Amino acid sequence: MGSWSVGNWPSFDPHNFSQLRPNDPSAPSKKTPITYHPTHERTIPPPDQVISSEAKNILLRQLYQRSDEKLRPKRAASENLAPEQESKHPRASGASSSDLLP
Amino acid sequence: MSTYNYVVTAHKPTNVTHSCVGNFTGPQELNLIIAKCTRIEIHLLTPQGLQPMLDVPIYGRIATLELFRPHGETQDLLFIATERYKFCVLQWDADTNEVITRAMGDVSDRIGRPTDNGQIGIIDPDCRLIGLHLYDGLFKVIPFDNKGQLKEAFNIRLEELQVLDIKFLYGCPKPTIVVLYQDNKDARHVKTYEVSLKDKDFVEGPWSQNNLDNGADLLIPVPPPFCGVLIIGEETIVYCSASAFKAIPIRPSITRAYGRVDADGSRYLLGDHSGLLHLLVIAHEKEKVTGLKIELLGETSIASTISYLDNAFVYVGSSYGDSQLIKLNLQPDAKGSYVEVLERYVNLGPIVDFCVVDLERQGQGQVVTCSGAFKDGSLRIVRNGIGINEQASVELQGIKGMWSLRSATDDLYDTFLVVSFISETRILAMNLEDELEETEIEGFCSQVQTLFCHDAVHNQLVQVTSSSVRLVSSTSRELRHEWHAPADYSINVATANATQVLLATRGGHLVYLEIGDGVLVEKKHAQLKYDISCLDINPIGENPNFSNLAAVGMWTDISVRIFSLPDLNLITEEHLGGEIIPRSVLLCAFEGIPYLLCALGDGHLLNFLLNTTTGGLTDRKKVSLGTQPITLRTFSSKNTTHVFAASDRPTVIYSSNKKLLYSNVNLKEVSHMCPFNSAAFPDSLAIAKEGELTIGTIDDIQKLHIRSIPLGEHARRICHQEQSRTFAICSLKYNQSSTEDSEMHFIRLLDDQTFDFISTYSLDQFEYGCSILNCSFSDDSNAYYCVGTAYVMPEENEPTKGRILVFMVEDGKLQLVAEKETKGAVYSLNAFNGKLLAAINQKIQLYKWMLRDDGTRELQSECGHHGHILALYVQTRGDFIVVGDLMKSISLLIYKHEEGAIEERARDYNANWMSAVEILDDDIYLGAENNYNLFTVRKNSEGATDEERGRLEVVGEYHLGEFVNRFRHGSLVMRLPDSDVGQIPTIIFGTVNGVIGVIASLPQDQYVFMEKLQTNLRKVIKGVGGLSHEQWRSFYSEKKTVDSRNFLDGDLIESFLDLGRTRMEEISKTMNVSVEELMKRVEELTRLH
Repeated sequence: MGSWSVGNWPSFDPHNFSQLRPNDPSAPSKKTPITYHPTHERTIPPPDQVISSEAKNILLRQLYQRSDEKLRPKRAASENLAPEQESKHPRASGASSSDLLP
Repeated sequence: MSTYNYVVTAHKPTNVTHSCVGNFTGPQELNLIIAKCTRIEIHLLTPQGLQPMLDVPIYGRIATLELFRPHGETQDLLFIATERYKFCVLQWDADTNEVITRAMGDVSDRIGRPTDNGQIGIIDPDCRLIGLHLYDGLFKVIPFDNKGQLKEAFNIRLEELQVLDIKFLYGCPKPTIVVLYQDNKDARHVKTYEVSLKDKDFVEGPWSQNNLDNGADLLIPVPPPFCGVLIIGEETIVYCSASAFKAIPIRPSITRAYGRVDADGSRYLLGDHSGLLHLLVIAHEKEKVTGLKIELLGETSIASTISYLDNAFVYVGSSYGDSQLIKLNLQPDAKGSYVEVLERYVNLGPIVDFCVVDLERQGQGQVVTCSGAFKDGSLRIVRNGIGINEQASVELQGIKGMWSLRSATDDLYDTFLVVSFISETRILAMNLEDELEETEIEGFCSQVQTLFCHDAVHNQLVQVTSSSVRLVSSTSRELRHEWHAPADYSINVATANATQVLLATRGGHLVYLEIGDGVLVEKKHAQLKYDISCLDINPIGENPNFSNLAAVGMWTDISVRIFSLPDLNLITEEHLGGEIIPRSVLLCAFEGIPYLLCALGDGHLLNFLLNTTTGGLTDRKKVSLGTQPITLRTFSSKNTTHVFAASDRPTVIYSSNKKLLYSNVNLKEVSHMCPFNSAAFPDSLAIAKEGELTIGTIDDIQKLHIRSIPLGEHARRICHQEQSRTFAICSLKYNQSSTEDSEMHFIRLLDDQTFDFISTYSLDQFEYGCSILNCSFSDDSNAYYCVGTAYVMPEENEPTKGRILVFMVEDGKLQLVAEKETKGAVYSLNAFNGKLLAAINQKIQLYKWMLRDDGTRELQSECGHHGHILALYVQTRGDFIVVGDLMKSISLLIYKHEEGAIEERARDYNANWMSAVEILDDDIYLGAENNYNLFTVRKNSEGATDEERGRLEVVGEYHLGEFVNRFRHGSLVMRLPDSDVGQIPTIIFGTVNGVIGVIASLPQDQYVFMEKLQTNLRKVIKGVGGLSHEQWRSFYSEKKTVDSRNFLDGDLIESFLDLGRTRMEEISKTMNVSVEELMKRVEELTRLH
């Protein structure tokens, strides 16, 4: 059997598992970890990291986006870093938003 | 009334759903993190193997588990998303060893159709965003800012509605996903999209690939340098990128799990549906992919997740069998396998069915589960408490005490067993034939009761009787010295170790002796105010032969006192309160922590932390072990010291993770116990019980014992028959051949002791065993196994044909005595009024057991009831029938004898899709449904109108978070009729995740008390990741979410016992109940499971 690929297994720390004394495989492992019951206050993240979803639905967001773009003064376009993609994009989103309309 | 229910886990989930490896607890520490549906386990990779660190309950069912590392971090963060649309980002704080929450949030949408193929959560490899696919047609993005902080989430419309998998591609300048989807012609394709965070929209991606394998189901993104993606199908594996397309055919299989081996993504472990492990290799030349290769490595449990750990070790997590730690060897073994299984981690899931039996006839229930699936199917015998495996026993009445002695100080084994009676002492010893026979120790006084015995230094033995202390040579067995108690001061209690003797005489005199070579020296004497009830000088300091402390229990003032030795100075006095005297005290150390245990005459046990320097006693705790006086003794098992509490409810006290635990011993009543480690019976205990002396070995010290009976096939139904001492199961075996997969269904008969198959009945082709029952009929006392089946034809939506088979066990064989054809699947069978009640598709049907003229028997239809979608689960009580419907919740039927008819009495009009039902009492019925909720309904017999009486009122609701397959009345623990918990009715349930749980119906006052405790605990024990316990336990379905009511979370309540003292005191203060009382009441509940 060609074992061209079996072997040369990666090693992060050669010591890991080096002293493993395997259980009798018919007797399952009985090591049980401690059950964690946090009582500290840091189970609550900083206030700005309580994340919610944008309330605006996709259609409205795209309509606003388009109207923003129409209102934008023309010279702003030259400041845009990726003008080519930017010009393509409203068309794509326009097509998809029309799909949403009845 | 069983309105007030307490739900608690007896066996935690073991079904491993996710796993990942990374540096979570420290930059240099490599961790394996495992998800078991509602819990995560953090392990550390060490030279000794996987070291479990923490079991973290999560208030949600885990849908996604991913480790990731934002820019600038030195260790990984853990992203968890739950099925109820919550997510959190967790971080390990090494300074405090706490899990802290970096971020959390709610990603639910008000409108949206939940995905059919499960939730997908992925993190961009460059940590620019988290992507979630939770609803059809929507892709949710949680962007990261450049500091690694999360920002407001938004949705992007995804055109593909039938998504099978989504992954992020590596090495893309813009975050790019690859989507595997099925079109409306059932063809499968992949497509890529760039996520434009600025426009909050997709941009067409760099490539796509149409018309893939029809079974393509899994994407594996390939890291640099190759990048691209592997598409795993059932017949092909494809590598796809913007520049390359390589494919190989594979043996038909469904890949369930993969694990990346090399950081460069050149090798992957693939686990398939039959448990075969393959290695997939990306062949390459200088970063250019040239092809794919696949090699079979061997067989494992059917994997649900695979994580390469380190140095050729791999973790295989399984949903259908035990999870495993395997090693990939360099050379194949004789069978050609590179896989070596080194450790096994028990998994009971999925528990499809179970029964509660008392196999050892000890009055204690054992649960026998149908566990696992496919080739990993098994039966598991789950038993609470610690068993004694009897080696030898003799009838001996009136034992008052027992001690084992060695014949030389250095002997490894005990030789003598001293057994004391009211007016004599007998010595037993092992003879040359390894039999226990009576012998003599000449120097001992055998005409009186012995109060205490011990081995002493210099090959000596000590015997204490009411009049003297005798020091005897263990080799010549002759008396070397004797200390006499003063006349009129008989010795009441005594204790000793290898060098010290402490005894108490009438009148409160405490005498301390030391043992020399052939001499007993009275060192100290003290006069106490009251008589002494018990004492102990078990050495727990550095010197194993000498104790610096003595513990003394007192009559009259009901106290324990600690004296220093050898000067016998009183250093601590602790009043116990109450009127019950201490009967046994013990100094002992568990996991290096010294304790004083003090057992009272009424079966209560107090324990204190002991300061060995000052003798100070702190952290007093009280538990109720039994109702009779307790005698405490230490013993060793597997090099660890434990304490045996002999009483009417024998208990082993042990310590795990520095917490004292109490485990029942599966014996009815034990008056005395002493360790007896003889050459013939190593590591044994001598146990005096009910007029009998037994020598036996003790099980491993743990609460639940699980024995596995691998079947190699999938058991789906089980029941036990007492008369024939057998189990019968419905099972199925999958046969995989290269051409076609087929399955065969059997009814198997198993011996209930050996669990060997002793008889098999093969069902017809396409015939499934759906239900099984042990019953007898009116006018026929024989025990029968009844089996309900269904012919599952590929072209039918619902079975239209089935059978009821009636078997008798004769000479260990299944004999078919009757069979009856049915017009559908027999989903349930019940013994009912001496007849057989069957649930057949939408109908409930009652059969009589009729005697034919020729003396044979047949099932004859009597009456029935239509009106269900599918009547899946049926329970009966008297003439009442409770039906759990596929989608119409619970209904109540009644059998009318006179009319010979079954009528509907009431129903619950909610649209619950049921998974199990049970009758709690005459009026309250329990249901489990497929959104992982429990609920109770009440019959309203006193309703004013027909409409009211016809409605089952929902009285309890609770989110269990587990899919329950079966409820059964019964208990895992031996119930003492005179104890408080002995009065509490319990139901056991089994779930898909392998959970065994208990639902206990509490008296109202106890419920109210525990509800208050639960409310307070919610404030103190915080949900990991900021998840709310209240929300987690709220009844949740697509239609409604309502607060839980009339169910309590026993797991939360019992975690009170794990709290630190200050937190307990906080709760004690707000509840205005002492810590001791709270602990005692919670401890009592832990004894329900």
